[in-house]
Amino acid sequence: MTSNSSRREFWGLAATGIAAAGCTFVKKAELPKQGKSVVAVVKAASYSEDLTQKILQGIRECGLDVKGKTVLLKPNLVEFDKDTAINTEVAVVAAAWGAFQSLGATVLIGEGPGHRRDAFGIAEEAGYRGLSKFEASFVDLNRDDVTSVAKFAEHKEIYLPNTALGADLVVSLAKMKTHHWAGATLSMKNFFGLVPGSVYGWPKNFLHHTGIPVSIIELNRIFRKTFAIVDGIVGMEGNGPIQGTPKKAGVLVMGTDNIAVDATCCRIMGIDPLKVEYILGAKSLGIAEESRIEQRGETIASVQTNFELIKEFAHLRI
Amino acid sequence: MLESYLGRRLRLLKESQNSDGGWGYFPGKRSWLEPTAYALLAQHQDAGTATWDKGWNLMRQWQREDGAWRPTSCVEDAHWTTALAITLHCVRGVYDGHFRNGVDWLLDSAGAEGKLLDRMISYVTKISPTGHDLRYRGWPWRPGTASWIEPTAHSLVALKKAAPQIPGALVKRRIILGEGMILRRRCTDGGWNYGSKEALGVQLPSYPETTALALLGLQGNRDAELGPALARAKRLYDDGQSPLGSALLKVSLRTYGLNLGTESPKDPGRDLLVAGIEAIGCSEGSFSLLRPAA
Repeated sequence: MTSNSSRREFWGLAATGIAAAGCTFVKKAELPKQGKSVVAVVKAASYSEDLTQKILQGIRECGLDVKGKTVLLKPNLVEFDKDTAINTEVAVVAAAWGAFQSLGATVLIGEGPGHRRDAFGIAEEAGYRGLSKFEASFVDLNRDDVTSVAKFAEHKEIYLPNTALGADLVVSLAKMKTHHWAGATLSMKNFFGLVPGSVYGWPKNFLHHTGIPVSIIELNRIFRKTFAIVDGIVGMEGNGPIQGTPKKAGVLVMGTDNIAVDATCCRIMGIDPLKVEYILGAKSLGIAEESRIEQRGETIASVQTNFELIKEFAHLRI
Repeated sequence: MLESYLGRRLRLLKESQNSDGGWGYFPGKRSWLEPTAYALLAQHQDAGTATWDKGWNLMRQWQREDGAWRPTSCVEDAHWTTALAITLHCVRGVYDGHFRNGVDWLLDSAGAEGKLLDRMISYVTKISPTGHDLRYRGWPWRPGTASWIEPTAHSLVALKKAAPQIPGALVKRRIILGEGMILRRRCTDGGWNYGSKEALGVQLPSYPETTALALLGLQGNRDAELGPALARAKRLYDDGQSPLGSALLKVSLRTYGLNLGTESPKDPGRDLLVAGIEAIGCSEGSFSLLRPAA
């Protein structure tokens, strides 16, 4: 943890009543992942395009086989504000649903919003309940039955939802956003929504006290069978993840390595991923170096657009 | 004859009771203390019957040695739902060792942000790192974390009901501090967000569920001007976007004596927590059980 981000985290959390006492510092990875990771960058100018085909393109580029598997789509559903772009757009959720179902998977949607208790209420506001299969397939991960998983940072265990633990593949359907405590929130940070509020509360203050970067890394260590689809068609810049400004990037970024996907998203956003603490600390779980990411689809240069950063994270700029 | 709004919810709860006596958040799921507590409150008229007592006994089994309650059988941790268990004891009029141990634990529990070191730093630097008045500590969701509106409100409801049974000044002091915490975190729109009224200098909006619970926790406070908060709560109720929020707002507004009319006989959803709270908060419901002791 850099001294800047350490101070930033403490005061940032403290400002909203989440003192970072007892914060665990991220250990640098000792055994970096070998080889290369594939990341697909697919242009999508708007939500009215055929996103199912674009997601199928990304799945094909990454060589993912989901036939006969149970796939949990985990969107980023936080709270609703019609004037900005907080949540994974419903069109992307619908397209992912269609894509995975067409490939022979059993598809579920699950989310455990971090602030609001009423997942169904937010889903209603965000338009998710208009999805034809929503009522039958949605699991409120905050109130799912849970199982203890040994070891989470300095804690002996963490309780996690059975639906997520039992899925063959967890698809992180994240939003491309800046984050006022973590720098950026993408597919890795999206896993905070897998932690059940019924055990840890709203917000999941346990994660903040454990430390945001280390909690992100630990969740990505536990959930290894993943696919990431980051909705950057319209993301959020500035004071994200809730109070920022919509930012059009016109891309979907996909891959089986969440770290590589997030590193690529950062580069698109004009952020140096190796300065983002949780990406830097997750080197044993995936690949962040540009030279070791096999880029498919669009080049980063062709879609790169700087996301505005709040001053506390200005040092992340490439 | 058409089954009433309340009748439909009570029937759903009866049909969804697990074999261990408790209720899950959804039918067929494991029993948790929170939906079990609301289901028992909703069916309070059945207290003493075998089925009601089975839920009550299950809840009692989940108390830890330190007095706190765990949220479900497989989770060992102390939990905010201890407040709900105490409220249930008060409603049932059972003031035994379980009750006293639970109250002692709740009185000893407080948000981590108000620890002595934080208060000293705040005093020396003249800066409150949280932006909050650290003298007013509420309750956390779980030990070792900060105070938030919801667990503080539940704890206030429990302690206000328990107060006549607990000698000494500590209960009164914790109620004053908890109310002070809630009142100091009111949003500019009159209601409550989940913990703070602003983040990084930006005003936060109030939410239905937290506004409902904050008002529930503030019942009996004669000094606070709650008119704007009640007006905000009524607006949020009229918006009706959140099923859980609407259910909690109904309970809260009715405890303050607002006339919300009579519900039409609409079927409940599959969410048993919401069904239980809707049953408590309807015109014929048991919402008055959540009022403070006289």
